[in-house]
Amino acid sequence: MLRATGLVKSFRAPSGAPVPVLAGAELTAKGGEFVVIGGPSGSGKSTLLNVIGLLEDAEGGEVWYESERVSALGRNAKSRARARSVGFVFQSFLLLPALTALENVLLAARYAGRDGAAARRRARELLDELGVSHRTGHFPPQLSGGEQQRVAFCRAVLNDPPLLLADEPTGNLDEANGAVILAALRSRARAGAAVVLVSHRPDAAIGATAVFHLREGRLEP
Amino acid sequence: MSLRALRSYAFTIAGIAIGVAGLVALGAMSERIVRFIEGGDRFVLGQISVAGRGMGMGTGFTAGGLLPAGAIRKIAGVEGVAGVQAQVMLPLNPSTSQFMTLTQELVLGLDLSVPMPNRHYRALPVHAGRFLRAGERRAAVVGAAFAASRGLTVGSRLPLEGTPFEVVGVLDRMLTAPDRFVIVPIEDARAQWLAKDRLLQTLLASGAAALTAADLNTGAAVGWRDGEDPDAVARRILAQVPGVNVQLPGELSSLLRSSTAFFSALLAGMGALALVIGGLSLANTMAAAVFERIRDFGVKRALGATDWALGREVLAESLAVTLAGGLAGILLAIALGLAVDARAARAGQQLFHFSARLLGGALAFSVALGALAAAYATWRVVSLPPAEAIRRGA
Repeated sequence: MLRATGLVKSFRAPSGAPVPVLAGAELTAKGGEFVVIGGPSGSGKSTLLNVIGLLEDAEGGEVWYESERVSALGRNAKSRARARSVGFVFQSFLLLPALTALENVLLAARYAGRDGAAARRRARELLDELGVSHRTGHFPPQLSGGEQQRVAFCRAVLNDPPLLLADEPTGNLDEANGAVILAALRSRARAGAAVVLVSHRPDAAIGATAVFHLREGRLEP
Repeated sequence: MSLRALRSYAFTIAGIAIGVAGLVALGAMSERIVRFIEGGDRFVLGQISVAGRGMGMGTGFTAGGLLPAGAIRKIAGVEGVAGVQAQVMLPLNPSTSQFMTLTQELVLGLDLSVPMPNRHYRALPVHAGRFLRAGERRAAVVGAAFAASRGLTVGSRLPLEGTPFEVVGVLDRMLTAPDRFVIVPIEDARAQWLAKDRLLQTLLASGAAALTAADLNTGAAVGWRDGEDPDAVARRILAQVPGVNVQLPGELSSLLRSSTAFFSALLAGMGALALVIGGLSLANTMAAAVFERIRDFGVKRALGATDWALGREVLAESLAVTLAGGLAGILLAIALGLAVDARAARAGQQLFHFSARLLGGALAFSVALGALAAAYATWRVVSLPPAEAIRRGA
């Protein structure tokens, strides 16, 4: 499903000097695989996920979804590719505060052009599966961190994306809630999605089909 | 956009409302001045004003001289004239200080046996009661500001030079000279003139002048036939009728405009100031509201929103927000204006005029500017990579 080759990316230090983050990183994740990426803070894990999720551009390298070189697409075509193929779970949940839990989940369907009764029914099912169906009408500030991340997970998987990217999804959660999210991610991989997880948690690698560490801009086993 | 979503924009709406209220309030003051100037212009362009030649201080359109009945008959015979209405125009209070004001209170006597020849005012608009009838005596129709300053309504008694008049009508507020008029039958106005003018009393008592009551006119309003050039008709009157002052409508209009040039410049300045202050406040508030939500837009981009989808959402929201803010601002300005005018009305004044063109224009301006500001801010936001938008909004 996902093939990323030769990814190069650097940021500018306040002095103006380039700081390399990715230096030829390579990653492949097929449907059903559960890939875990570790590495020290600031090593570029989130940047790698952003680049393969088309949230920011690399300076070099290519990203392919199936047979399509999505890194070469224009801004709007990338948006459509994300809507079609990618689900994101972020560390800080990134729910929209003015929308209810249900509306936040349905946002994913809106931009994929799947708005409607079927999407609404599926959103309710997912919220039920994750144990937050009683919170559908609540706004994010009214939810606990664990509940917010469950809602965010439902939003990420509503369109059944073939690629699921999770950036430290348990970073702001307690042990129990973290375990729920990790289990849900593994379950998506078993259901056929390619799941790429960035995490510090030692138990995140349980059930992983591949574990990498990002060192000096490259992924190493 | 739902009410809940609008509530989340409460501060933005309040900010826009304040900007629009300022714009509308300043605009309403400009409109008030414009209406005053336009009203006068419209009146003088609707008739040829003729006065007896004289060199006194004059009142309204008069020159301090008499326009005898013979002169009026001669005017009626001039080619192109459609109608002549004798008039008596007097200061209500003939003190010098009253002469110096722009909005002098006047007594206007009309010959009610003749239709009003003014092309723009075939009848003066009556707000309450009715207009004067031919043959009626000691009846008065008063202007809106005059009535308000004295608490007069239909049926009130109004003493003029010791003679009680019954108020039979109150005019619509016209925001120009007639707002301060007391209109009476010409016979009553002639009696008022005699009561006020010691020189005229002495002259008539001496028997030196062979005058009848019909000769006591300060001027006349003259109408012209369809297709006639009013300035040409006025010149013909001047050439054919001796002893008259004739005001050319075109010339008078340009004189009026040049004498009100200061006010025109003032109101143009006020309007420009209102547009700049209100516009900047509105655009800034709207753009800030969009930039505040940069993280939300980043998330939406991450979920697959295209430029068009995002732009459409922001535009719809900004239209709803500026519409709500614009309406609230208009209501705020009207409430403020009414409160101030209620106080000013005690002195017969009105400071604000909330015309439909002003309110419609202010609303259209605020919505268009809000949408423009939102579109600019959205363009800036969508130009960012989603990850950058999320980082900046964190």
